Amino acid sequence: MNTTLNQHLIDPEICIRCNTCEETCPVGAISHDSRNYVVDAGLCNACGACLPPCPTGSIDNWRQVLRHAAYGVAEQLLWDTLPVQDPALAAGTGPSAPPAMAPRPWSAGQPALNLFDHRRPARATVVGNYRVTGAAAASDTRHIVLDFGATPFPVLEGQSIGILPPGDDSFGRPHHARQYSIASPRDGERPRYNNLALTVKRVTADHDGRPVHGLCSNYLCDLRKVETVDVTGPFGASFLMPDHPAAHLVMICTGTGAAPMRAMTERRRRLQGDGRQGRLVLFFGARTRDELPYFGPLMTLPAAFIDVHLALSRAPDRPKAYVQDLMRAQADQLGGLLADPETYVYVCGLKGMESGVLAALSEIAAARGFDPQGLLATMAAAGRLHLETY
Amino acid sequence: MRDNAALRPIDPAPAVDYQTDPSRYRHWSFTVDGPLATLTLEVAEDGGLRPGYKLKLNSYDLGVDIELADAVQRLRFEHPQVRTVIVTSGRDRVFCSGANIHMLGLSSHPWKVNFCKFTNETRNGLEDSSRDGSLKFLAAVNGSCAGGGYELALACDEILLVDDRSSAVSLPEVPLLGVLPGTGGLTRLTDKRQVRHDLADIFCTTAEGVRGQRAKDWRLVDALAKPAQFQAAVRSHALALAGASLRPARATGIALTPVHRRFGSDRIDYDHVAVAIDRGRRLATLTVKAPAEPQPTTAEGIHQAGAAWWPLAMARELDDAILTLRTNELEIGTWLLATAGDPAAVMAVDRTLITLREEWLVRETIGLMRRTFARLDVSARSLFALIEPGSCFAGALFELALACDRSYMADRPGDPAAPVIALSPLNFGPLAMVGGVSRLTRRFYGEAEPMEAVAGAIGRALDAQTAVALGLVTAAPDPLDWADEIRLMLEERASLSPDGLTGLEANLRFCGPETMETRIFGRLTAWQNWIFNRPNAVGERGALTVYGSGGRPGFDWTRV
Amino acid sequence: MMSIDYTDLIPNNVELGADRTLQRALEAWQPNYRNWWLEMGPEGTHDLDIYLRTAISAEPSGWAQFGHVKMPDYRWGIFLAPRDPERAIGFGEHRGQPAWQEVPGEHRANLRRIIVTQGDTEPASVEQQRHLGLTAPSLYDLRNLFQVNVEEGRHLWAMVYLLHRFFGRDGREEADALLERRSGDTDNPRILGAFNERTPDWLAFFMFTYFTDRDGKFQLCALAESGFDPLARTTRFMLTEEAHHMFVGESGVARVIQRTCEVMKAHDLRDPAQVRALGVIDLETIQRYLNFHFSVTIDLFGADQSSNAAGFYSAGLKGRFEETKRADDHVLKDRVYPVLTVADGRLTEHEAPMLTALNEVLRDDFIRDSHGGVARWNKIIEKHGLPFRLKAPHKAFNRRIGQLAGVHVTPDGQVVAAAEWQAGAAHWLPTEADRAFVAALMGRVVEPGRFANWIAPPPVGINRQPIDFSYVRFD
Repeated sequence: MNTTLNQHLIDPEICIRCNTCEETCPVGAISHDSRNYVVDAGLCNACGACLPPCPTGSIDNWRQVLRHAAYGVAEQLLWDTLPVQDPALAAGTGPSAPPAMAPRPWSAGQPALNLFDHRRPARATVVGNYRVTGAAAASDTRHIVLDFGATPFPVLEGQSIGILPPGDDSFGRPHHARQYSIASPRDGERPRYNNLALTVKRVTADHDGRPVHGLCSNYLCDLRKVETVDVTGPFGASFLMPDHPAAHLVMICTGTGAAPMRAMTERRRRLQGDGRQGRLVLFFGARTRDELPYFGPLMTLPAAFIDVHLALSRAPDRPKAYVQDLMRAQADQLGGLLADPETYVYVCGLKGMESGVLAALSEIAAARGFDPQGLLATMAAAGRLHLETY
Repeated sequence: MRDNAALRPIDPAPAVDYQTDPSRYRHWSFTVDGPLATLTLEVAEDGGLRPGYKLKLNSYDLGVDIELADAVQRLRFEHPQVRTVIVTSGRDRVFCSGANIHMLGLSSHPWKVNFCKFTNETRNGLEDSSRDGSLKFLAAVNGSCAGGGYELALACDEILLVDDRSSAVSLPEVPLLGVLPGTGGLTRLTDKRQVRHDLADIFCTTAEGVRGQRAKDWRLVDALAKPAQFQAAVRSHALALAGASLRPARATGIALTPVHRRFGSDRIDYDHVAVAIDRGRRLATLTVKAPAEPQPTTAEGIHQAGAAWWPLAMARELDDAILTLRTNELEIGTWLLATAGDPAAVMAVDRTLITLREEWLVRETIGLMRRTFARLDVSARSLFALIEPGSCFAGALFELALACDRSYMADRPGDPAAPVIALSPLNFGPLAMVGGVSRLTRRFYGEAEPMEAVAGAIGRALDAQTAVALGLVTAAPDPLDWADEIRLMLEERASLSPDGLTGLEANLRFCGPETMETRIFGRLTAWQNWIFNRPNAVGERGALTVYGSGGRPGFDWTRV
Repeated sequence: MMSIDYTDLIPNNVELGADRTLQRALEAWQPNYRNWWLEMGPEGTHDLDIYLRTAISAEPSGWAQFGHVKMPDYRWGIFLAPRDPERAIGFGEHRGQPAWQEVPGEHRANLRRIIVTQGDTEPASVEQQRHLGLTAPSLYDLRNLFQVNVEEGRHLWAMVYLLHRFFGRDGREEADALLERRSGDTDNPRILGAFNERTPDWLAFFMFTYFTDRDGKFQLCALAESGFDPLARTTRFMLTEEAHHMFVGESGVARVIQRTCEVMKAHDLRDPAQVRALGVIDLETIQRYLNFHFSVTIDLFGADQSSNAAGFYSAGLKGRFEETKRADDHVLKDRVYPVLTVADGRLTEHEAPMLTALNEVLRDDFIRDSHGGVARWNKIIEKHGLPFRLKAPHKAFNRRIGQLAGVHVTPDGQVVAAAEWQAGAAHWLPTEADRAFVAALMGRVVEPGRFANWIAPPPVGINRQPIDFSYVRFD
């Protein structure tokens, strides 16, 4: 697949090797030798934590590269200067744009961030691990509940955590952390317990369908109750839900992208009865019905509470449907919602869905007489449009 | 909390108990005959406090001396008509041969030091009573009198030696044991009896000692008597001494009833004193409580109250608490002195003590308080007074704060609960340290200006800032600083070398001019404790170790 | 009494609003601090609007808030790096025990001394640099100077916070004294010698921030390992700011070199006199400044044999640089370390117990670190095709402290006779003439985007702002 990556790099000509970035990085993506400080593209999640503390500005460099051709650590360690941007890749994307720190909804809670890192992870105990995809589904998606005991680990819906798989890689270095969205609301999978839930799909193939053994997902999926796991985070300061009860939530997801949607939905469900609530609209895509995580419980929620639209791309009994198709089918409803400043849109799932969903949103906005790019930019700037794709 | 109190078994009683009474004596006995009492030493050989040695030849250990201290105390309070105490031996041809050498050889260094300290305090107590117009003491030396035996005699007002051609007084510690006559012996020879130093040198290096006329010529004894005239001479000397006592001719004593104690897990609770031990911090808090009930203000009332009279009961309890901690809690290196109750109640008792100070029971009670507080001055522990809300460091009890190495007073301006301190005339002499210097005089080096200032403050309730201005307390942290300041100070103290602190405190507490007593506790004791640690005394072939084995000591001849 | 909302005035993550002890201490100290700043802070700057970075929280996102502020109104915050509830002491005889959250009484005096010594350097450098604003080569540099100054001020706060919070009355008295000493005052000088020297010109300032602030970095790194957790957390956060100071130094010297090289290349010059004639600083003078600042700074690490250093380490008060990353027993009882001495007129290394040689260990770590920047400076010269290379002098050169004091060693490490050294000193260390020449170049440049002739513009601005941004506003 021909995906590009906005690769984070450090300018060796300007860097003074002060170690601040390495000290700050919550995922351990920055390392150094006697010559240079470098960023591991495989670890960096572009969270931006290293940017403000850098005294020199050398940290703030980005290059559009092909994902599979990202500059490796060994290569960066030998640089005296930064490589120039490949104009072919830069074309169309304009000048390299570092990820601005996206704002969160105005009424979102203050997130706790980076309380635990790989040097000092939190230790959680597995208190539940069961399959949420149907028995017939090829994919094994699991609902895993982690309990933090006496360790404070405050989270908000939409945040993610890192899991440190045990052991070392083939170079003898400890495995780096993998991030997973939290699938439970802030007060715990079980209310008032210090626990949270993850939705983890067992990875058995790579993006291109080649068989691989996903190290961390298999580790997690195979965990039994009472076993412990090392956790980093919490991460995420913008993909957060509004606390304002009248806010409307439009949630668009595929596969395990359902995790944050489940967290937000459950949060709202627990607050039912606390007065008038904004609307919840969910567009949920999967290949078959059996692959829909949380399919059963979702169907039991009353339509008055949440408006659920299921898109199945490989269901034998019906034509192929993608989430963007169902969104277009709901153009009237969505158009009205987009016009409302208290509507918040969340997109989470595979990278491939992003363009289709944005195109559908643009169409719907245009149909309402908005400048679609302007509206989406305004929404993003106001913390009302959040995309998280992988 | 690092306190592991919960893990310790509850001790039913301390390892060494300083409480006793005549029905339990094994070594001493006394009889009373009008103004004279005879205190007779007849040591039970098998009555040692610890196993492993026999108390031969009227030699003593700590248990023997605890009885002596108790007996003298009872003569003071239970037999007010007694004016002179005759100290003598119930054995043939031996008065007392001093501290038991085998006991010393078997004892740890801390035990030896503590033993010497207590025996020193008891002997100082004899002189304290005599100086105060209370009991006079006559040593009726009716047999050989060696080492600690002679030191006991030295502490008496007069020494009468039987002139039987064999009984000698001696200080054989150096020639026989390689140690010093450390219970005041060397110091009293010179400072009290003013024996010429070269003669003292001969005396102290001659194991068999000196007898007869030479003993008198050298001022080692006051008088001699042939065996046949000995009893008569004892009586006439005793009666002559009695004339200088201020004790009443006819009076009824009070009974020193047993001190009420309850031992708990790391606690001792008395009626007016409480001890709480924090083992994790190596810390004990001694709290002295003010009288809760009105106290008598007349002699009759005081006699009626007897041993329950607050100052007397409090002093006996505090005395026991100090001795118990000192002997049995060696690692508890810091004592926090606290008080609780109404300062006015303490000041009221002070007024009674001062008004009736010539009354015999009041005199004895003040004497007991003086000697008890004086134990603090020579305790090898860091002493800190914490003057907090609810405390009553007033008059006699302020003496506790004055005895401390430092005192901290809570400064709480405008707070009705703010603590106050107060001074009374008792702080200006009657409760003086050993050697007769009041702690205020010690504190201000007797300088006129501060002494006048504090004298002018007698009877006033003084708040923290006034106390600081008068120099009466070390520091006055406010409520925000208090907890941290005290914690840091205590932790810092607890981290310092215990030996360094013992030496430091002993030096600073006895600042100013030396007296015989300060020389005993300072110069003599310090040298003795040094020798006690040296191989020439306690090494494998040290003199103390090989004594009695027939072997000869092997010395390291290096002069240090 | 008027109650002041400190939470608003002083951004903090130490629950200042709930800590009465701290509030009370600040009531007295804060006005004195402001007075000190007005009296001893950067001269003639109190009305300027300066584009400063302010920390408003300890998280990366709150770390750097940029905006124009007047320096006396700068919100000097109190921040500690987040607490690790399971942190254990990493070295010394208490290794493995939980880190102390309060001052252990046993170490009160030593910790206070460490904190006061560190704290004293912070206001000292503000005092040393207070006249530099008058000769700034650009608005960008002026702003960087002031950023350094306010952060030194904040570091003073950080140390004062520890004194106020943990050391009771003694701490308050020491905090007051930090405002009473004056750099260079004969009667009431700052504690460390190097902090009583003047910083006469901008080359000296850049060298100072590169070398001497790097001493600060290494001291802070060693303290960031401390078993006294509040000290460790305070210094850890300070390190992020200290990095800015070293940036100012490294990039400042780099830009001076860059400019000199440009001129030398453009006019094909080698002769220092000719280079000077064109109004830029010749590389030889830069080398002499480097020699001076390097040698004076490494003396700050103290004597090569120090029982204090050993005591601080064994007690868990002050560790080594990157202590936790080192793979040894962290007790060091039997370890040795090579220490340089002079024997028979030659420099030789002998093995000393590592515990007493810990100052030397830290000095050597510093030397390694500072060589990196010198190498990067040389890259600039190399890029211009010039043969000259800068070099950090030998460790034994121009030392005043430790066993190497009083030995005459050239920058190359040759032991020479005193007379020979004196004769060479003019080639090795800045002369009065050098300083006069550099001083003559100094002149204030305050047009946005313009730079004095002797220094090149930086490659990037501050916080993505353009280079001709109004980093300082004078109206």
